[in-house]
Amino acid sequence: LEAGNAIVTEPGRPRPRTPWPFLRFLGQRLAAFIVLALGITLIAFLLTQLVPGDPALSALGPVTSADPEAVAAYHHHWGTDKPLPVQYLTYLWNLLHGDLGTSQLSHQPVSTDLREAIPATAELALLAITVAILIGVPLGVVAAIRQNKPSDHTLRVVSLAGISMPTFWLALLALYVFFFRLNWFPGGGRLDPGVLPPDEITGMYSVDAALQGDWDVARDALDHLVLPALVLAAFNVSLIMRYTRSAVLEVVHDDYVRAARAKGLPERDVVRKHVLRAALPSVVTVIGLVFANVLTGAVLVENIFAWPGIGQYAYQASIELDLPAIMGVSLFVAFVYVAVNFVVDVLYGVIDPRLRLQ
Amino acid sequence: MDRPALTRRRVLPAVVVGVAMLTLVAAAAYASPGAKQQAAADGTLVIDTSFVVQTIDPARMFEPTSQIAVKGMYDTLLTFRGGKTKPLPWLARSWTVSKDAKTFTFNLRRDVRFTDGTPLTSADVLFSFRRIVNLKGSPSFLLAGVKVSAPSPYRVVLRSSQPNPALLRIVPNPSLGIVNSKLVKANGGTDAVGADKKDKAEPYLLSNSAGSGPYVLKSYSNKTQIILEANPSFWGPKPKFQTVVIRNMPAATQLLNVQRGQNEVALDLSAQQATTLRGKSGLRVVTNASANLFNIDINTDPKISEVAANKDIQTAIRYGLDYNAFVKLSGPGAVQAPGMIPTTFLGHLPPSARIKRNLAKAKAAVARSGIEDPKITMTYPSELTINGISFATLAQKTKANLADVGIEVTLVGKPVNAFLETYAAGKHEMSQSYWGPDYPDPNDYLVFTPGGLAANRVNWGATDDPALAALAKRAQRTVKDTQRARLFQQIGRTMNQRAPFYPLFQPAQAIVSSSNLTNAVLGVIWPLDVRAVGSR
Repeated sequence: LEAGNAIVTEPGRPRPRTPWPFLRFLGQRLAAFIVLALGITLIAFLLTQLVPGDPALSALGPVTSADPEAVAAYHHHWGTDKPLPVQYLTYLWNLLHGDLGTSQLSHQPVSTDLREAIPATAELALLAITVAILIGVPLGVVAAIRQNKPSDHTLRVVSLAGISMPTFWLALLALYVFFFRLNWFPGGGRLDPGVLPPDEITGMYSVDAALQGDWDVARDALDHLVLPALVLAAFNVSLIMRYTRSAVLEVVHDDYVRAARAKGLPERDVVRKHVLRAALPSVVTVIGLVFANVLTGAVLVENIFAWPGIGQYAYQASIELDLPAIMGVSLFVAFVYVAVNFVVDVLYGVIDPRLRLQ
Repeated sequence: MDRPALTRRRVLPAVVVGVAMLTLVAAAAYASPGAKQQAAADGTLVIDTSFVVQTIDPARMFEPTSQIAVKGMYDTLLTFRGGKTKPLPWLARSWTVSKDAKTFTFNLRRDVRFTDGTPLTSADVLFSFRRIVNLKGSPSFLLAGVKVSAPSPYRVVLRSSQPNPALLRIVPNPSLGIVNSKLVKANGGTDAVGADKKDKAEPYLLSNSAGSGPYVLKSYSNKTQIILEANPSFWGPKPKFQTVVIRNMPAATQLLNVQRGQNEVALDLSAQQATTLRGKSGLRVVTNASANLFNIDINTDPKISEVAANKDIQTAIRYGLDYNAFVKLSGPGAVQAPGMIPTTFLGHLPPSARIKRNLAKAKAAVARSGIEDPKITMTYPSELTINGISFATLAQKTKANLADVGIEVTLVGKPVNAFLETYAAGKHEMSQSYWGPDYPDPNDYLVFTPGGLAANRVNWGATDDPALAALAKRAQRTVKDTQRARLFQQIGRTMNQRAPFYPLFQPAQAIVSSSNLTNAVLGVIWPLDVRAVGSR
């Protein structure tokens, strides 16, 4: 993720007039995604073939898998009896028609599985990242402005602890204290037992229930969301704080900041309008990466909180060699990174006029 | 045309509005009446388990979590009660078995109706059983070599090509649950030959139930929860709970949930975890030996390994293993397996028949083998944990035990699928292995006798031990339980002396439930019988 990825022009230089620059930019990213997706499907397909082991053996059990007819029926059912190039081309052809295949593990279309798993993780990730930004960025700025003072040392130690603490341990600790001991939050899952999810609009239960005015379910969903999101945020608060601190330190002693202070501007304005704004592109880059990581790699938190997100789905798929699911998840991961790159590039322009689109 | 740029002034209001909306949503949700955290309401049974579920189509499923749900929704011809393995009447009010154990005639109840009011008849049994066979799915082996016929609307006949005294203990399996044939056919189901390619009923059965059991499917997710609701028109005793929620939870979270919940059951706690809950008010903790069997297999083919195939080395391993240490490793409630048939089943050996560690005997056998510094490779499924016991830990223990008698073991851990592939091909010199019962009958353990499925994986053919193979064949065909018990014990004693299998232990299993619940016991085939669980 670099500022240079955006279509940028510098002030003062003649700008080439390109029609529909934003659409062109979007088109370029879309083309990049298609190429990336093709590459990823091929790599995922080949790597899965390289892993020794026949998924039929564990799927059918020891007795049935000893029956060649049953094994053949299994492979026929899942299309794995065809030559590898045919399997791959069939996959691509189906993909072109929006069909991601059927999961061998869930016996459901992968698209259905992803439609359940992605919003679950997105709901978690959005809250976690919002909390992480709201806490991490200000603390990072404070640490940088008060460099080498006790508050900086304290924040650095705290952030180091946050980064070093294993997430699964923190998750268990949070459950023990806030669910088991204090009973402030429920113990896992997206809803209380027996509560039916709201009708699907976004797939994010708290949002969907609220949109439908089902406040009991909305509250239940929020109750379940808060604790895992905070655990997920803990690591990222530390990360964002550290990066913000170093980004701010890079600019805080620059001449233009000194000039702003010399002009008599209040320190708050100096920090907000001059220091933070200049540091933000680096911070946004990190936030983009963190968001993509959270969206694709929250497997431990998801597991301990029984949160049926994309991390758990990916983990199960790889353990069971569920090829269609592995491919579906790989495509999703590719899409997330391309999309996050795109959003970050756009944000560069919003933050810094020098990097703005034509 | 110039496009408006995305500027801070444009984005900021959008962000503010977004955050304000979220805050409003949260505030509205929390301010709403009756929105306090909802514990499981009375009338709801909550079962926490780590999901192992691919489907809840009875004819395709064979996973523990599926069995809990399917057992609640579908009736079987016969059943078991509690942890017992005596077949009891259910849909079949009576039955007869021919002397050669090949023909089984079941007389059905006449008052059973599916949830849509359709009477359950022999045609439904015929359809359900044929569909299982022709789908060629995981449970199809249960009816291998069995032909089904329906001579009258309330009579079903199963004819086995081989004497099959185990069949009475096979039909209670939830996979053999009876579906509403008209309904399933109307939704793409077929029982015809070729059903493995033509049957399209699974998606329907993942969102609807088509059974006659006390519960019906309300919602299904193989990732979060399966919700069952009481069947108001159930033909039998009224279901004890209005709702049953089977919830996907890791064991660590189950440990906390069961202490806070009401009408709650935790199925996956290790014996150690369960023991920590003993004596706590409001909880009922039961630990006992499971019917799962942990064992070690050794290859008898000298082409695979001269060392492994050496009879003296096999003897050395038999007496070099520290069986007591394996039992301790498994936790309170575990027992040493007296033979390859677990203590829960007909034909198991008495405790006095257990193999005991004898280091002197083991070392003498190594010396007798003529192999200097014997080395052997043992393969194990590296990431597999069953009943809270990691195969990697067991493998380390085996290695240390055998080092005591002078056998050097090299450990090779493989992912389960890779392990199974080489294991099934009979390529492992030695394996850290495991067997879970498919049905609670000693016939399920004939796979370990010469020429059996598991024996073939260590290349132990019928010709390698003709006497034992003949005994196994006789046991397979014997009908009377008393005679079968005697024969299987005879087989067990012989195998403890010379089979290439070392039965280690039956691990402890635990079930923890709210103390007001009744009959929350682990079953032998299904983890929990939801229809039996009640509340005081």
